Amino acid sequence: MSCTQPLSGATLTDYWLGILPQGDEERVEEHIFACETCSARLAEVQAMAEGLRALARAGSLMMVVSESFLKQAGGHGLHIRRYDPPQGGSVQCTVTAEDDLLVGGLAANLSAARRLDLSLCDPTGKEQFRLVDIPFDTESGNVLWQQSITFARGAPTSTMVARLIDVGESGEETLLGEYTFNHTRTLPGPAAW
Amino acid sequence: MLVVMELGPAELVMRIAAGNDREAEGEFCRMMGPRIRLYGLRHLRDRQNADDLVQQVLLTALETLRDGGLREPDKLASFVLGTCRMTVLNQRRGVRRRQELLDRFGLEMLAPVPSPGPRLDHEKLANCVQSLKERERAVIVMSFYDQETAADVARFLSVSEANVRVIRHRAIHELRTCMGVA
Repeated sequence: MSCTQPLSGATLTDYWLGILPQGDEERVEEHIFACETCSARLAEVQAMAEGLRALARAGSLMMVVSESFLKQAGGHGLHIRRYDPPQGGSVQCTVTAEDDLLVGGLAANLSAARRLDLSLCDPTGKEQFRLVDIPFDTESGNVLWQQSITFARGAPTSTMVARLIDVGESGEETLLGEYTFNHTRTLPGPAAW
Repeated sequence: MLVVMELGPAELVMRIAAGNDREAEGEFCRMMGPRIRLYGLRHLRDRQNADDLVQQVLLTALETLRDGGLREPDKLASFVLGTCRMTVLNQRRGVRRRQELLDRFGLEMLAPVPSPGPRLDHEKLANCVQSLKERERAVIVMSFYDQETAADVARFLSVSEANVRVIRHRAIHELRTCMGVA
């Protein structure tokens, strides 16, 4: 059975998130209850929403998160291991089987930052990975970087250097902060990658 | 053996009202059960409560349909949606008569109803989410995990609320394309 006026993916997503105006929400619901095609597509949105929630709970995404995300995760009973190395300094760190999320708090003066990149380097300073144009709050004074806990659990004892870099319009880069994470493996596994 | 019928809403209503048509009632449950469940998940945000809502609404609706209480058979979808809305309202008021209806209709009628929905490849989803741009990933996670308001997300990203909506829609489109459900 096909639908002659299918609801858009954007509308279905907004409906699922509960952000449609009330009149629009009622029209969407009338349509979904009468339409097999669109109810099946809404089921796909619902499955994706549940998958995204599960993914966030699993802590396996490498990304920048907000304080409110951590607060909510803590409220859901997730165990958060967080390290806040001083700017220009280092911290000894590890991850255990009981941890759900692994977060680094990177303090820096972001008030004049334009575009902010997070560069992850080896101990020699060679860049291994870069998170480009990360979200940041100019007034918060820190960036909360979530490392994939799946990666961290499997990582051998090693050192990683994180750098916050301000990138100007013409691509010029200014180092805003550098933070060294000395990771000690506490879970069984190979000594090296 | 599952009997799949291709009955229109009006025909279903008339057959159920004619009485003692378990096939038509079963088809009604198969048709509407998943939609009621989605409504429950959307409004109650809880699987158990959504499953309870499916039972409650189907039982209430069947009771009305058996009694010939739906005078405009082509309004079946609106009738079920209205029953959903009333049931959620009544649940919130603490009004329950579920057991009485369960006793009358029996549980076996509801057995085919629970719908797990489409299967999702979680590993593929993880790869797709990780391949998004940083801001898109942040918006997606904040929207679906935190269920934060557009204002909160906008503040975190230092962009306008309208931009948040644009970023979210673009990210969802990319995710759906990556997952092959576009």
